[in-house]
Amino acid sequence: MDRAPASADPHQAKAQILNYCRRKGALVVGVANLDTLQRIAPPGHRPRDLMPRVGSVISLGVGGQTRGAWSVPAKALSFFGSTEGSAYKIAFGCAFFIESQFGRPSIYCPPDIDPEGGTRIPFQSMKLHAEVAGLGARSLAGDILLHPQYGYLYYASVFTELELPPDEPLDANPCPSSSCVELYRKTSQTPCMKFCPAQCLSGSIDIDGRQEVMCYEMAKCAEMTEQYEALPAMLADAMDAADSASRERALFDPDNSVYWYKMSVGSGGLLGQCFECMRVCPVATKAPLADPICRGPRVKEVR
Amino acid sequence: MPRGLSFEQIGVTEAMLASYGDFIWEHSNNVQTRYGDPVRMLQFDAIERQRNNLTDQQMAEVLGLSRNQVLQMRVTLEARSYHRHRYARLYELGGNRRFRSDRFVPHELRDRFRQDAIALRNSLRYDPSLVCKYTENGYWADDTLTKWLSRNVANDARRRAVSGPSGELTYGELADKSERFAHGLRLLGIRGGDVVSVQLPNIPEFFIAYLAIARLGAVMSTVHMPYRSAEIQTLLKHNRGRAYIGLSRWKECKPVAEVLALRGDLPALDHVITLGDPISGTTSFSDLLRSEPNLPGDVGPVPADPFLLLFTSGTSSNPKAVPLTYQMTLGNARMSAPEHGLRADDVVLSAAPYSHLFGLYSFHLTMSVGAGNLLLPRFSPPELLAAIERYRPTALFTAPTHLAALENAGLLQSGDFSSLRLVVVSGSACPARLAQAVAARLPNGALTQLWGMTELQAGLFTRPGDPLDVTATGRPSPGSEVRIADLDDALLSANLEGELQIRGSLMFPGYFQNDEANRGAFTSDGWFRTGDLATMDASGNVRITGRTKDIINRGGVKYNPGDVEDLLGTHPKVLQAAVVAFPDPVLGEKACCFVVVAGEVAPTLPELCAYLTEHGISKVKLPERLEIIDAMPMTPTRKIIKARLKERLLGDARRCTMQGEEDCR
Repeated sequence: MDRAPASADPHQAKAQILNYCRRKGALVVGVANLDTLQRIAPPGHRPRDLMPRVGSVISLGVGGQTRGAWSVPAKALSFFGSTEGSAYKIAFGCAFFIESQFGRPSIYCPPDIDPEGGTRIPFQSMKLHAEVAGLGARSLAGDILLHPQYGYLYYASVFTELELPPDEPLDANPCPSSSCVELYRKTSQTPCMKFCPAQCLSGSIDIDGRQEVMCYEMAKCAEMTEQYEALPAMLADAMDAADSASRERALFDPDNSVYWYKMSVGSGGLLGQCFECMRVCPVATKAPLADPICRGPRVKEVR
Repeated sequence: MPRGLSFEQIGVTEAMLASYGDFIWEHSNNVQTRYGDPVRMLQFDAIERQRNNLTDQQMAEVLGLSRNQVLQMRVTLEARSYHRHRYARLYELGGNRRFRSDRFVPHELRDRFRQDAIALRNSLRYDPSLVCKYTENGYWADDTLTKWLSRNVANDARRRAVSGPSGELTYGELADKSERFAHGLRLLGIRGGDVVSVQLPNIPEFFIAYLAIARLGAVMSTVHMPYRSAEIQTLLKHNRGRAYIGLSRWKECKPVAEVLALRGDLPALDHVITLGDPISGTTSFSDLLRSEPNLPGDVGPVPADPFLLLFTSGTSSNPKAVPLTYQMTLGNARMSAPEHGLRADDVVLSAAPYSHLFGLYSFHLTMSVGAGNLLLPRFSPPELLAAIERYRPTALFTAPTHLAALENAGLLQSGDFSSLRLVVVSGSACPARLAQAVAARLPNGALTQLWGMTELQAGLFTRPGDPLDVTATGRPSPGSEVRIADLDDALLSANLEGELQIRGSLMFPGYFQNDEANRGAFTSDGWFRTGDLATMDASGNVRITGRTKDIINRGGVKYNPGDVEDLLGTHPKVLQAAVVAFPDPVLGEKACCFVVVAGEVAPTLPELCAYLTEHGISKVKLPERLEIIDAMPMTPTRKIIKARLKERLLGDARRCTMQGEEDCR
């Protein structure tokens, strides 16, 4: 494929890039304002910290679950709950697309943690990119982004030296929905707060039905999802065991065995998130196009 | 980079963790707080004001530490605060279920079985092929008292579960009270597998306690009401009971006070629970009943759990404790109930105490079908008849001695037994004449016989509709097999007398912590030696004829004195008779006849021998000694304790040896 000139019209380039992403399966795609990101992100995690000559940050989102998926037991949902892999794939392709079409260096933004930042800090905040690009707004459910049309999405980002016209954040926040406000008025809790099994969510809604305070205890949530911290703790238990039988139990008891299994088959997060806050979220599950089956054009495409 | 670096290299100390830990935790991403919606609205001032979550570098600058120090402290704090196995909550989620914290108990807060409970569970060991067989055939199924109670409540919470002079309870009320009592016990510290000793008569509180203990997954060990300090001490030492439930007063006794006096010798006993007048140093039964039912979701039994630890009739220094699981015991009741013809609309009166497995069996049967229980707190012939006439039970579980007492009081002849459609007699062999007399007084019912043991509950019984054969004990209960064997465990032909041996899904796996008793309890191929003598006809009907240990060996001639006793019982001067062996230096053993006199005049030995001879008893079986006594030593289930009679003879023999045989004559 011939390379397009470096001086390609930014609007046309943006249209081509967005079109590429949509064709590959992105439900939403936009460009975040770089200056805004530079101003909001903490030092060390700003776009230019990762790519000094970055000209644009492209954010894209893919759909979450079918309506049926939300009805299965959580232990099953945790296996197929994460569809971010497809978002990363599109972003990876998009970076290649920009380089091949417009000849400007691009990267698929690493979604993982910053090794220097510990287990809670990513290289870059995909959430921030998406929010500034107008692909979602922060919810009371631990700041998980929600889209008014598509509900709960997974996001990935592409950094490129190509300069593209930015989009604006969403005009309105779909969270809380009217039914959540109603429940909050009665119980001081929204569904996501009420049904969180780790009770890691709290907050309040103001008199106009808008988010007032959102509090998220990420450590509690991480315990629920049984992330990386479990493994060294298990090994420490085994090392401290008084005898070989206790050591064996420390490693192979029924609960711990699950960790080894998940590690050996490499199936993503150790046990995944519970998704309970999203399961009960009316926006996540009942947004007009949250269910892929409801997305008419895509259904036609499949046919 | 802190990786691979030690605290000493980075210069982090515990004091620093204590000093800076809170700040680091609160400003890391472990806790995130947002006010309003500033990012979407691009409110940069608000974003700056809320910049509470800081990077390690930012925290280091604020605190005057190095970045590595902050990173190391943050990671250490996170590791120390991290709880594992929270993901188990996932199992309570989804599939139309919402998480409920009252249902979920974190791993670290879940109960542990105490060592005593583990020891009890460790005593339950089965032949693995039998486990497969029993489960595949449905002999062992999903039976627990808790589930049965819930099912009965769901079917009809207003159905009467308990009635009688001491009170009434519907199934709903019984469930509520037992749930409350269970919660009360749990507040005392009673946990799954713990043994709770119960010494209560047949009153509603017995069921409440029993179901509450079962609800916790704990184990009930009954103590018969007549037992006093010596017996109680032996049993509670052996069962390692953590709690005792008893009456403040029973007849002329004070059971709880007696147990309190024994506490020094019972280190496992943590709680004494009193029903009746308050007693200092004990917990009130009624206080526990007032507990709010709020048991954690993980509390409760499974069918393989032991739930009863019952003692066989003997109360020697080496007690035989029988652990029973729901699978074996409730499976036996579930499968037997239809064979007894019991239905949900039945009301069952047990004249036998619930402290005995025969009494409990009647309760298990009623629970299995959702029937009612009529309670008789204490037996006396007039009270039994009054209960039958007033409450009109449809089934009566009783011992021959109860019926004999009814007859002797003249009440069998005059009473109204028309409500009874089933009488189950067990406990000892029912004299034929008595069985016929009772059957004749049942215009609407049948008299059936049952043979059981603490080790297995109901092993044999006749079914309603069987021809009235007063000498038969019946056919095996569902899931069990019986055989008659000689002393070498060889199978005997039909109608030959030998030891009754049994096996099946109802069978206990062995006595608890009694190797001596276990050694001889089972044959090498897994049959339980019942110790009962019996014959079995070609159609499988069994007749119990005596006890193997009652066999008298007179100079090599071994015989069962059962027929002699039966005949003596028909002598006009004899109310009760029992024949036991006593040592003889020449013949090894001879027979001694113990007699309770029926009237004013006692029979003589020649007189009794003549009577026996006249009725065809061979000379070799004639008793050679006669002892007149005021009353027979009886078990709480009204069986003669022959061991006591033998002890008495041995005591006499020892005294004779000390004093010289001449003095003794």
